[in-house]
Amino acid sequence: MSSFVWMKFLESSPERYDRGVELLSRGRIADVYDTIAELAASPGKRLLDIGCGTGGVSLACAARGARVVAIDSNPGMLDIARAKPVTRDQGGDIEWLELGLAEVEDRFGEAHFDAIVSCLVFSELSPDEQVYTLDMARSRLMPGGRLVIADEALPQSGPRRMWHRVRRLPLGLITYLLTQTSTRPVERLAESIRLAGFGRVEETRLWGDTFVVVSAVREDVGR
Amino acid sequence: MRPRDFPHWLRDTMLRMFPHRAPTGLVRIGNPGRESPVLVTGNFTLTIRRLIDALRGHDVWLLCANSKGINVWCAAGGGHLTHHDVISVVRISRIGELVDHRELVLPQLCATGVERRKIAEITGWSARWGPARLEDLPGFLRRRRHLVKGERFVRFPLWERMEMSFMWSWALIAVAVLGAWGIGSWALALCALAVILGIVGGIFAALPWLIVTGPKRWLTFGAFAVVGFGVGVGVLAALGSATSAHLWLAAGTAVVATGVLSVDLAGTTPWYGSYINRFHNPALVDLVETRCTGAAECVQVCPRDVLEMNGHRRKVEIKRPDQCIQCGACIVQCPEDALRFRYDDGRVVEAATIRRTRMNMVGQRTVELPEP
Repeated sequence: MSSFVWMKFLESSPERYDRGVELLSRGRIADVYDTIAELAASPGKRLLDIGCGTGGVSLACAARGARVVAIDSNPGMLDIARAKPVTRDQGGDIEWLELGLAEVEDRFGEAHFDAIVSCLVFSELSPDEQVYTLDMARSRLMPGGRLVIADEALPQSGPRRMWHRVRRLPLGLITYLLTQTSTRPVERLAESIRLAGFGRVEETRLWGDTFVVVSAVREDVGR
Repeated sequence: MRPRDFPHWLRDTMLRMFPHRAPTGLVRIGNPGRESPVLVTGNFTLTIRRLIDALRGHDVWLLCANSKGINVWCAAGGGHLTHHDVISVVRISRIGELVDHRELVLPQLCATGVERRKIAEITGWSARWGPARLEDLPGFLRRRRHLVKGERFVRFPLWERMEMSFMWSWALIAVAVLGAWGIGSWALALCALAVILGIVGGIFAALPWLIVTGPKRWLTFGAFAVVGFGVGVGVLAALGSATSAHLWLAAGTAVVATGVLSVDLAGTTPWYGSYINRFHNPALVDLVETRCTGAAECVQVCPRDVLEMNGHRRKVEIKRPDQCIQCGACIVQCPEDALRFRYDDGRVVEAATIRRTRMNMVGQRTVELPEP
């Protein structure tokens, strides 16, 4: 996929979101949901999905048996998600909550989750929100718990990075005109996760180096 | 504005239609202390620059919430600035450790998307509405955070209309001048400049007296296209370059300039309504009087003086429905869900729906309409 800048257009109308993301990813977004679920979910695990949107990741995790708490600050997206059937063969379940990332601490104590996941959310956060979210994720994870974050990325090589910026510019402009905003690729995600105190950080780059999935583990009890 | 800030003002004004993200978090203005007021705004660069300018000489804490680089009103209407973002900046900034009070001052225009009561419920911070326009903040602070009635309403003075016309003009002029340079005719470039400035500047200067929404808007835009073309012909004639090809290009420039403005002129002005599901529809704000308890929260957030509190009856009354711009702020903030939108055919859109739906850039809410 060349760019996710159209994401904002899709978010302005939640009912178009799934169809649009499927189209933009040329049918590959479901693979990302599965990749995240494979890394983070298994039967009985307590899992938090930050910014669940219309529920793609949460549903994939529940299908693998995880007991998912799916949070999003957009009630329109949650309405779409709630209407979808949950596969409960493996004992999985989903609790949908309208909750901002800074409100997680009100609902869930420290070391509450076995895994925390987030897809196409991190790039929307400001730098201090990113730092807060990683700290929050670390404190809400059990020792040994896994964090998986997936988002749009910039290619690592200079020329490809420049070509990617040029290619997304017109899409970005059109999206600005339609929605007054756009998405941004996330930068140095793996490094930020390491700095937040996570261990065993592994990065997988997809789709011509324009999408990244980072997996990490909370290795110790205190920092 | 200080002279050294001019380049920044120029950049921010030229690009003000696009999001421009400032860092989120805490900004100290002056030398704030433990009793200093805590103001909230979005992280739109131009707004923060103007706030710092306007509040020179005051000591305040300024919390910049993540509005995704969009101005407060548009961000709140479009779902990019909600109470979740305000809660986020309150907690992440740790402002609670720096002050002894627990009161936020919210910009009134965020009321269309930021639910005041939710902030208090979740954080324990109370939130009061500040003025609609940041120019009124110094007076508001001098009066110990007391708002006078006139500060609740949006204005669109000539200087601001000219600033907005500059934002629209420069991009059109850049394209036109590039085109003229490609053709190699500076007479044509001057002509395009005059056509665009005439149309854009003229529309914004005369805006208070124009109709730019509804079916009659085409007469307004048509008239300005003709006037713009006339200006172009005058320039070409004066320069001795009124060839047939140049006249066609001048006409094309007039049509394009008018067409671009007609797309979303109402969206860049504070006077014209948004749309509930359909464009140019007749939905009006409607009060269910039996639900109204006289909290008057709606009166405090209406930027168009549509509502008034009747102290004797302890009920709110809709006094000037024709002034309503359907921003939805009154509906979102009403603690009793007593306000809603009603169509001529009797269909209603209730508060719960308005709180869950957002406007797109042309001010349209994509809500599901019930059957009549």
